[in-house]
Amino acid sequence: MSTCAKPIELEALIAYWLGELGESAEAPLEEHLFDCAHCTRRLEWLAACAGGVRAAVREGTIALALTPRFLEHMKRQGMRIREYPAAPGETINCTLRAEDDAVVSRLQAPLAGASRVDALHSVDSGGGRIARWRMDDVPFDPQAGEVLFTPAAAALRKMPAHTRRVQLLAVEAAGERPLGEYTFAHTPG
Amino acid sequence: MPLEGLEDAELARRIAAAGERIDSAAESELYRRLAPRVRLYGLRHLRDPHAAHDLVQQVLLTTLERLRAGKVREPERIASYVLGMCRMTVLEIRRGTWRREQLLETYGGTEGYDAPEPVALDGERLAKCLEALAERERSVVSLSFFAEQAGDEVAKALGLSAGNVRVIRHRAIGKLRECMGEAQ
Repeated sequence: MSTCAKPIELEALIAYWLGELGESAEAPLEEHLFDCAHCTRRLEWLAACAGGVRAAVREGTIALALTPRFLEHMKRQGMRIREYPAAPGETINCTLRAEDDAVVSRLQAPLAGASRVDALHSVDSGGGRIARWRMDDVPFDPQAGEVLFTPAAAALRKMPAHTRRVQLLAVEAAGERPLGEYTFAHTPG
Repeated sequence: MPLEGLEDAELARRIAAAGERIDSAAESELYRRLAPRVRLYGLRHLRDPHAAHDLVQQVLLTTLERLRAGKVREPERIASYVLGMCRMTVLEIRRGTWRREQLLETYGGTEGYDAPEPVALDGERLAKCLEALAERERSVVSLSFFAEQAGDEVAKALGLSAGNVRVIRHRAIGKLRECMGEAQ
């Protein structure tokens, strides 16, 4: 494999790929890339990773907490999104149909003053099988008063009817404060 | 000496020396080496795989033609010459003065030489590696690569400083490289 005496730092490659470098920093970096198979190979990997992340979102192979702008971008990309707004304490009947690319839960919560929000998830598939996990420090919009989640649609399609519960917690110096609990009764589409 | 062991500049000189007799082995090797660099330039600046593919053909077929015709003054600086051609062609594409038909008219739809397939990652493994990231890291990576947001935009969306986003992003991509078996 080719080597490079002075490889471009990963951070600079990332910044270049995302268009964050000014022209004066970008020009010499491109000169180096065109002369260096080693750094080209590293940038190729980064480009493939970026493409892989886009594919993972489009194909619903990962679960994500979303920002409002991310959700808008999904829609602009032509993804068909089924959305379920939910107030604290509410139980929502939900599904994912064949024509949907993703399902998004919009959890309304009193977020003013919160600096960090964690989410406790549980999925009860019946027969005593309950999976639990915690998402630390999820993105949220205090103004909108919402936390957005999309489960991995690819996995959701294969699941039988189940109940998913989400509890939002404000994490503060004094401890954790419950913000709301939401229940989704899922039936296959 | 096998062509793989030659510098880009030496290949360019061989192509120029052969002229219309065409040293197809040297041309093929130079094309193979430069195609990924041009394709990445195209993807970075045009954000479209089809446009990047067209750029590879336009730039490299024109470069080979000019090398054969002795119109490249410094073959030893071939990489720099190709970068210049990329910049000029991307400007033309952006101004709307370059048309795909030109490529077809000039080169009759020839695909050029074989170029290596772009790197493809195992999607299932990448999804697992993404799931293994901390939520904040996954948010930063997905906002950067799916929503194509620069660091300052990601910072605004997540209520972080731009510097903090860069640190998280660097750490997260480092973890992905390691998880995917890419880190050296």
